[in-house]
Amino acid sequence: MYHFNKILAVAFIILLTGCSIGGEKKIKIFSLEKPREKLDYPMPTPLQMEEIYWHIITSENAQEVFKKLEEAGIDPVLFGITDKDFQVLARNFAQIRQKLQETNNLLLEYKKYYEDSGKSE
Amino acid sequence: MFSTIKMAIAIMLITGIAGAGMYVMKLRADNATLKANQLKLETAITEQNKVLEQQKEDFTAILESNKKLNVLINTFKKDLQDLDKRFTKKNRDIGKLAIDRTESIERIVNGGGKNAARCIELASGAEHTEAELKATLKSEINPECPALANPNYVPFQ
Repeated sequence: MYHFNKILAVAFIILLTGCSIGGEKKIKIFSLEKPREKLDYPMPTPLQMEEIYWHIITSENAQEVFKKLEEAGIDPVLFGITDKDFQVLARNFAQIRQKLQETNNLLLEYKKYYEDSGKSE
Repeated sequence: MFSTIKMAIAIMLITGIAGAGMYVMKLRADNATLKANQLKLETAITEQNKVLEQQKEDFTAILESNKKLNVLINTFKKDLQDLDKRFTKKNRDIGKLAIDRTESIERIVNGGGKNAARCIELASGAEHTEAELKATLKSEINPECPALANPNYVPFQ
């Protein structure tokens, strides 16, 4: 009887503590730094300009110019600008070209800064 | 009486030894904590140094980039001034010139138009031709945008 009680006591203790033998498993939390995906757009395709021909018409050569156009099978009509407007047009084109160059350069600089170093966020 | 004193001394001894033992254990624990702290501080300093180094590199890159863009913007200003000069140099009147020398001005205007179109192509990212890269003389360059079209051309100041 005495032994039975001892066994019962030990069994009771094991029953109570059985689930906690070995302890709780610890949850491991770790952070993994994943760099931001690169946008990686290809650079814009360069423009291919088409050629245009400038006709200069004065009061003296106007007839001759129109005659040449007719002979070449081109409609004898011209869309004209004055010499002052031609200067303005040249300036406008130069400014558009510069803006294009500036934007392209900015794009390259951004790409270089954020992508070439491999430290993009 | 004698046994009471002996007991007191024994208790004091045991308490003293236990206290000393606990104190040593506390010192060991403190030492371990301090060592761990030292390690963490050293790691933090290394990381901070890395961050500072990176910041330094970034600032240099930003400065360099700003410098490049400033040079580019100054080139733009100069190009526009050169363009204006071409039309107005020595009180030049392009209209009158076109009346007097129609054919040569037509040729010059068309040549200029072709060059300007090429400048736009280059500005949009087109590759330079070999001739453009090799151009070092004034007669070989694209006068509409020499800095862009002919990187090896050094204008005479």
